[in-house]
Amino acid sequence: MIRTALKTVFAHKLRLALTALSVMIGVAFIAGTFIFTDTIDETFNDLFDDIFQGQDVIVQGVTEFDVGFSGPPPIDESVLDDVLAVAGVQAAEGTVGGFAVIYDKEGEAIVPTGPPTIGGSVTEDLRLAGNVTIRDGRSPTASGEVAVDARTADDNGLAVGDIITVQTPTVVDDYEIVAVIGFGESDNLAGATFAAFELGTAQEVFDLEGKFSSIVVIADEGTSPDLLRNSIASVLPSGVEAVTAADEAADQSEALSESLGFLQTALLVFALVAVFVASFIIQNTFRIIVRQRQKELALMRAVGATGGQVIWMVVIEAIIVGVVASILGIAFGFVIAQGLTSVMSAIGFDLPSTTAPLATRTIIVGVAVGLGVTVLAAVLPAIRASRIPPVAALQDVDVRLRMSDRRRTIIGSVVLAAGIALILNGLFGDILDLGPLNELTAVGAGALLVFLAVSMLSSLIVKPIARVLGPILGFIAPSNLLRPVRNLIGRRRGVDKLTGLLAVQNSVRKPRRTATTASALMIGLALVAFFFVLGDSIKASASGAIEEGLRADYVVSVSGFSGGFSPALGEELDAQPEIEAVTQLRFGFWDRNGSDEFLMGINTDTVEQTIFLGVTRGSIAELDQGGVMVVEDIFDDEGWTLGQTIPMGFATTGLQQVPVVGTFTENGIVQANFLVSLDFYEQNFEGFGTDVDFVLAAKAADGVSLEDSRAVMDAAAEDYANVTVRDQAEYRQSQEDQVDQLLVTFNALLVLAVIIAVFGIANTLALSIFERTREIGLLRAVGMDRPQLRRMIRHEAMIVAIIGAILGIIVGLFFGIVVTAALSAQGIDVLSIPAAQITALVIFGAVAGLMAAILPARRASKLNILEAIAYE
Amino acid sequence: MTTAQIPITGAVAARIDGGVKIYGEGDTEVRALDGVSAQFESGRFTAIMGPSGSGKSTLMHCVAGLDELTSGTVHIGETELGSLNDKDLTLLRREQVGFVFQAFNLIPTLSARENVLLPLLIAGEDHDEAWFDQVIGILGLGDRLTHRPSELSGGQQQRVAAARALVSRPAIVFADEPSGNLDSKSAAELLDFMRRAVKEFGQTIVMVTHDPVAASYADRVVFLEDGKIVDELQDPTPDSVIDRMRQFGA
Repeated sequence: MIRTALKTVFAHKLRLALTALSVMIGVAFIAGTFIFTDTIDETFNDLFDDIFQGQDVIVQGVTEFDVGFSGPPPIDESVLDDVLAVAGVQAAEGTVGGFAVIYDKEGEAIVPTGPPTIGGSVTEDLRLAGNVTIRDGRSPTASGEVAVDARTADDNGLAVGDIITVQTPTVVDDYEIVAVIGFGESDNLAGATFAAFELGTAQEVFDLEGKFSSIVVIADEGTSPDLLRNSIASVLPSGVEAVTAADEAADQSEALSESLGFLQTALLVFALVAVFVASFIIQNTFRIIVRQRQKELALMRAVGATGGQVIWMVVIEAIIVGVVASILGIAFGFVIAQGLTSVMSAIGFDLPSTTAPLATRTIIVGVAVGLGVTVLAAVLPAIRASRIPPVAALQDVDVRLRMSDRRRTIIGSVVLAAGIALILNGLFGDILDLGPLNELTAVGAGALLVFLAVSMLSSLIVKPIARVLGPILGFIAPSNLLRPVRNLIGRRRGVDKLTGLLAVQNSVRKPRRTATTASALMIGLALVAFFFVLGDSIKASASGAIEEGLRADYVVSVSGFSGGFSPALGEELDAQPEIEAVTQLRFGFWDRNGSDEFLMGINTDTVEQTIFLGVTRGSIAELDQGGVMVVEDIFDDEGWTLGQTIPMGFATTGLQQVPVVGTFTENGIVQANFLVSLDFYEQNFEGFGTDVDFVLAAKAADGVSLEDSRAVMDAAAEDYANVTVRDQAEYRQSQEDQVDQLLVTFNALLVLAVIIAVFGIANTLALSIFERTREIGLLRAVGMDRPQLRRMIRHEAMIVAIIGAILGIIVGLFFGIVVTAALSAQGIDVLSIPAAQITALVIFGAVAGLMAAILPARRASKLNILEAIAYE
Repeated sequence: MTTAQIPITGAVAARIDGGVKIYGEGDTEVRALDGVSAQFESGRFTAIMGPSGSGKSTLMHCVAGLDELTSGTVHIGETELGSLNDKDLTLLRREQVGFVFQAFNLIPTLSARENVLLPLLIAGEDHDEAWFDQVIGILGLGDRLTHRPSELSGGQQQRVAAARALVSRPAIVFADEPSGNLDSKSAAELLDFMRRAVKEFGQTIVMVTHDPVAASYADRVVFLEDGKIVDELQDPTPDSVIDRMRQFGA
């Protein structure tokens, strides 16, 4: 009876709970991603519905190419008269919008981390202002007056009557707050800061004099928006279009959802990694379960169950685990979604605290993945179970159901080769033609195969690795660091020799089981190692590029993630005698044969003084004739010739035939493969986001000390409170910090996969210990004390975990090296392997093993010796 | 009968006084030991016999420090077991007690030699090579020392277990049906060795068995029934043991 109870508690609960947990975490991540992105979608749907609330028709410039995030180009303000003359128009006003940064009372820029800093005009007729409501004060009516959003006002203690500074593309100036505005119930527009001006002022500060960003129209009673749209459209000049407000709301909401689609994809990729790791755990658990129930299953066969029935028995158990885990996972998905929402909120991106309702798609995908993975992972063990001969019920036969080493080697090697081929093909694209498989899918599928192959092959090498690790661990295991202390209190050496020996022996007892457990950890750590190598290479390449190519003494860029700063800063700096050369860089998207590409607009007269571009053909000066310079790799790949025109699609000006006037090699600092002059840029880009500088490089005049030039830079930048001035070393550091920040984010997402793997080690260990109950009873009977027993189990877990870490690092290094090599054309031309971080990963692996061992070790040490010895 | 006091012929290796062991509660209460007092003298080979459920295994487990009495005391040497915590009990087993179980005596991942030395390895102590060689020699295990348990016959496995029980020169060795799974030839070899260990090395052995032949190797047989010691025989023979056993359940 005790035996049965022990079996139920020790095996069933733990086995099912831990297996289900690993599936659950993966499914929760998937469900959480969906719920989170649904919430965002819904938020933006509501937001845009609100923004266009009460409006019927919008008149705006025609977007020729839908690239980047650029809005429609501005239109001439004379269009308003044409619109007002249309029958059925009750009211219409022009509005403008653009980049604006509000400063707090201390003169610090208020810049949210994610959302943009924007501004616009307020319509005189508030019915045309969408859901804008004046919470306090009155609409701005004169230059020198501004209205700010309620959230910005609340967070920074701003109120009507305060004088604040606002930075716009043309000027940094002081304004009196005359109103605090809300947007319906919301205090701001999805986290953005908003500064509103009277129309004339807005046109001035946004550099849109004589122009409107759009015209907002309300129809007469009884005139349908669609009808009015058609009437208005018939009077519009070319390049201007009329759309219904409802369509525009849907369009903008969809565009934003699409641009956030990468977020969903990225999160889902990490979720799938977690599920993939979980599949290893499931497979291992079921394999062990089948082994433990060998007699029971053989008995079933002996009394007449078919092999198929035995398979079903195992699969049904998998289905139960899968369904329970999926349902729990979906429920837990809300917690994950809440967590992601909090993270967004913490960086200033306000989302409603209520999550979107559970979409059917979330349930279907969640259950399909959870159930599918569990059942798939259980199929192989189930088939093995069906091969247990009935005779195993009667006698202790060691049923060998595993694949022969030879077969394993052959299959593993083939899978490994296929995986590597897929990766290389995806990265370099010239080995095999796989047709429809796109590059990323090929690399992803290749990585999957590599993981599977390494997991298969590693069972052949766990023995030698463990044999080598054993003695090494004898030195570095934490318990041994305390050896002198232990000797003082009367323990003798040799103790660890036995526990260590047993740990090593136990870890290689079932090489396949150890390999699978270690592989689960390998996956997460391989990806971490990969990001380490890639990140370090990016840092080294960027540092190299800056060291070699940055001739400027200072680089000015925005402090936050996104946006830019007023070009007025560049002009101001240019006028300073201490500064010899200022190069403004302005970035814009264009359409290259149907896909988004970007370019930099630069000051052609100064760039050679500030940035080394490695011009190989033509000259920078030729850009002034309205041409484009191309990085040499692309020029060669495309087989272009100098002077040839290439088609470039711009949102504002449509398709342009632009002559290629030169090539350059050093794209590390400008971070673009195409360069144009600022004049060309201004001719072809208009509208939100293109009215500001992205980066500015400045070189001090000869003979001016660094202190003096720095003082001039800082003084000029002080008015532009959202920018940071960095010298070369600081700039290099900032680039490295950016990479580090990304690494932290990726690794945080991979932690989930590692946690699942740790559960896997714990689960496997617990089940293995359960198998070894009698052995443990014997060890205890002949005098092994509980600390020794626990240490033995900890050491075993550490060996398994370190094997996983080593495999992970090998695979991760491989991924890192090939991906870095593939990115050399993108300016990542230095391969750098961060030895310290890689070493830390091994230690991390060992610690993960230790943590995984805590519970199983405690359980094992509490086993009743007599029951353990009598256990069968 | 209530036990007549056994004459003390030498030092006592272990003794139990008023030992009571109760499993379960209320209706399901089972008195596995019901007031057992006995002594096991040094240098003697004692067999404990009795029908199934008589409490003979429980007696051995309690005296060996593997199980706790509900009431009463157990001494090994001068040490009273009831006052020991798990750690001290473990140390006591490691240093003072040897075990031979009926089955699963050996750690499968360790060689025969490592299994023999197990208690010393656990203690981190060096072993006496001459003593080790002597034990191994008598048991005829010399050429099997590098083998894993799975490569040994059942008899060889039990002899390795016996060697392990002796190698640390414990105060007392407990054997639980050591020959239970062996054929008669292997059983005889093992039991003969155990008797030699007592005669030649002065080892104290307490063996639980239900086999009269096995019991006849002992110097003395203690009979247990319903948790009480009901009789004992000095210098038993198989026949005298069988005769006594016939009285049970009759």
